[in-house]
Amino acid sequence: MTAPSIEYAALLPMIIVLGAGVVGVLVEAFVPRRPRHAVQVGIALLALVAALVQVVRLRDTEIIGAVGSVAIDGPALFLQGTLLVMAIISVMFFAERRIESGGNAFAPAASSLPGSEDERVLVRDRVLQTEIYPLTMFSVGGMMLFPAANDLLVMFIALEVLSLPLYLLCGMARRRRLLSQEAAMKYFLLGAFASGFFLFGAAFVYGYAGSLEFAAIDAALAARVGQEGLLLAGVGLMAVGLLFKIGAVPFHAWTPDVYQGAPSQVTAFMAACTKIAAFGAMLRLFYVAFGGIRTDWQPMLWAVAIITMVVGIVVALTQTDVKRMLAYSSIAHAGFILTALVAVDEVAIAAILFYLAAYGLTTLGAFAVVTLVRDAGGEATHLSKWAGLGKRSPLLAATFGLFLLALAGIPLTSGFVGKLTVFAAAFQGGAMPLVIVGVVTSAVAAFFYVRVIVLMFFSDPAPEGPTVAVPSAWTVVGIGAAVVATIVLGILPGPLLELAEQAAVFVR
Amino acid sequence: MNPTSYLVLATLLFTIGAAGVLLRRNALVAFMSVELMLNAANLAFVTFARMHGNLDGQIVAFFVMVIAAAEVVVGLAIIVMIFRTRRSASVDDASLLKL
Amino acid sequence: MELYAPMIGLIVVAAVFAVGSVFASSMLGPKRFNRVRLDSYECGIEPTPQPVGGGRIPIKYYLTAMTFIIFDIEIIFLYPWAVRFDHLGLFGFVAMVTFLFLITVPFIYEWRRGGLEWD
Repeated sequence: MTAPSIEYAALLPMIIVLGAGVVGVLVEAFVPRRPRHAVQVGIALLALVAALVQVVRLRDTEIIGAVGSVAIDGPALFLQGTLLVMAIISVMFFAERRIESGGNAFAPAASSLPGSEDERVLVRDRVLQTEIYPLTMFSVGGMMLFPAANDLLVMFIALEVLSLPLYLLCGMARRRRLLSQEAAMKYFLLGAFASGFFLFGAAFVYGYAGSLEFAAIDAALAARVGQEGLLLAGVGLMAVGLLFKIGAVPFHAWTPDVYQGAPSQVTAFMAACTKIAAFGAMLRLFYVAFGGIRTDWQPMLWAVAIITMVVGIVVALTQTDVKRMLAYSSIAHAGFILTALVAVDEVAIAAILFYLAAYGLTTLGAFAVVTLVRDAGGEATHLSKWAGLGKRSPLLAATFGLFLLALAGIPLTSGFVGKLTVFAAAFQGGAMPLVIVGVVTSAVAAFFYVRVIVLMFFSDPAPEGPTVAVPSAWTVVGIGAAVVATIVLGILPGPLLELAEQAAVFVR
Repeated sequence: MNPTSYLVLATLLFTIGAAGVLLRRNALVAFMSVELMLNAANLAFVTFARMHGNLDGQIVAFFVMVIAAAEVVVGLAIIVMIFRTRRSASVDDASLLKL
Repeated sequence: MELYAPMIGLIVVAAVFAVGSVFASSMLGPKRFNRVRLDSYECGIEPTPQPVGGGRIPIKYYLTAMTFIIFDIEIIFLYPWAVRFDHLGLFGFVAMVTFLFLITVPFIYEWRRGGLEWD
């Protein structure tokens, strides 16, 4: 037997990130407590930057490697690059230590009981949570593999590798630990439930096509070999699993609770990166493997896109908590992206790639701002406390206002360009009703984003209002990058749009 | 040996699992139901592997077993953490006061 | 059928040994009956009274179970490799060594962090 050929060079970005995770675990085991945090941050950032350099080096690669199971092509590399940029910013947020007076945003030891003597001692000694860094590396590795997966098995493994560390990260908040632990459990149970659906669907698709590889599934669809019912059931069940990850209605129930309960830094990472990875995987699965039966799945996604936009926006209107509001906004954005996904052409791929990059950076920044508005109990996330923030801290309020305008899709922000490209792609793909619903819901959404801005700038500050923490350079640089990206992609979207268009071809 | 009956069994197990997650309130039981769903998928994979005469489905079953084990560990860790936190109500109050 | 002869032989030997040793000890051993002997056997310690309904299982049990599951299940990948060891050659060997190294890393982590200590 000859050894299978594995294209290590093309897989290098993922190997670097996952390798950094393994090294991080060894650091946990051997490096003494005091220097550990600095070492972990260093390893994580170094690995992410190195992986990003490798992604840039691979930019024109188009191969199906690792015996047909991983496709390294334009969309995969574009998304991996985007993910790595977001992950670098997220790790910078994780490394922030000034706003918790020497600690980071995570419980010193996740195993210590909330309110126990153990916990008090750990907090007093300023013990730092460092396990988050290897966990983040593993999660990022899974996210990078997810949109590159070219067979059902690898896609399932990537799904789990990205999810399992995230479940744990959600439960590690320093403050409001019960809420955080409950968020972790809810996310875990529903996430595992959804991956069960994904796997059972994959079994049916395999039963239909007799192969796990996307190309072979496509060929089987063209030949119409098996039983149609098996295939449709499989596609539907797999769609449930993926729609859950992107937070589309009716599989969105976890999103607000988990976004609210998880540490805001983790929420930022999760909101940006999970969406990118899951949409990437969904694009490849539905375009490369199931492209032949698009007329069968398009109506299903039409319906999901419409109810996702409507429910996301309508429920967001009633929210009184900033994090929950942003969570529902992320649900609505999933709906906007889905409008392009049903179009099935290269314009749609390019539009989605651009949208994910623009949305990801904006949402990272928005959640990072949430970490800075604090009162005695930690983050002050209730909207009423944000009243008059513009008078107390104009710069912070203006930054948050900018992110909200981008989320609303106001011109001269990245969100506007993103929405424009996505709706244009949907229009070209003949999904006119979706575009109409999208535009109407966007207009309604603009109302509630502007409502928050008005609240911040034009109402009087509450007497016992929150204070704005002064962060260290980590958070400042991270938020600064998000601000710059939001403005630059709004005014000069050309280069990135061009890059997305060039990248928008799947290798088959 | 008729493979269809195995598929029917797999679907039944999957349905029992899915219903268990939705209907049972106990986290551990819901969690066991998820495992049942994964194992139902395994049975389907192995049956299809037999029908198609290739080994892909059996390989998937191997990987799913390992992933399910990893999921068990992560899930148990989260559930145990919550049970420990919730056991004494006073701890709960104290942590809420600290907020 | 010839292929199975050694297996059947082994089963017979095992059965004879198992039944034989129980029978032999009942024949040869001294017979003293008292409270301790008739009590249920619990690893040589005093049997703990169990509350009705089973009572709580200590948290340590779950931690040990988790460790067991995660390291035990990895063996599954060794089986196919062991069966076709000669055909898989160097590639298979290197892959398996890499895999074993990778699962040793969390083991080292657990050991260093005191996860293997009972108290």
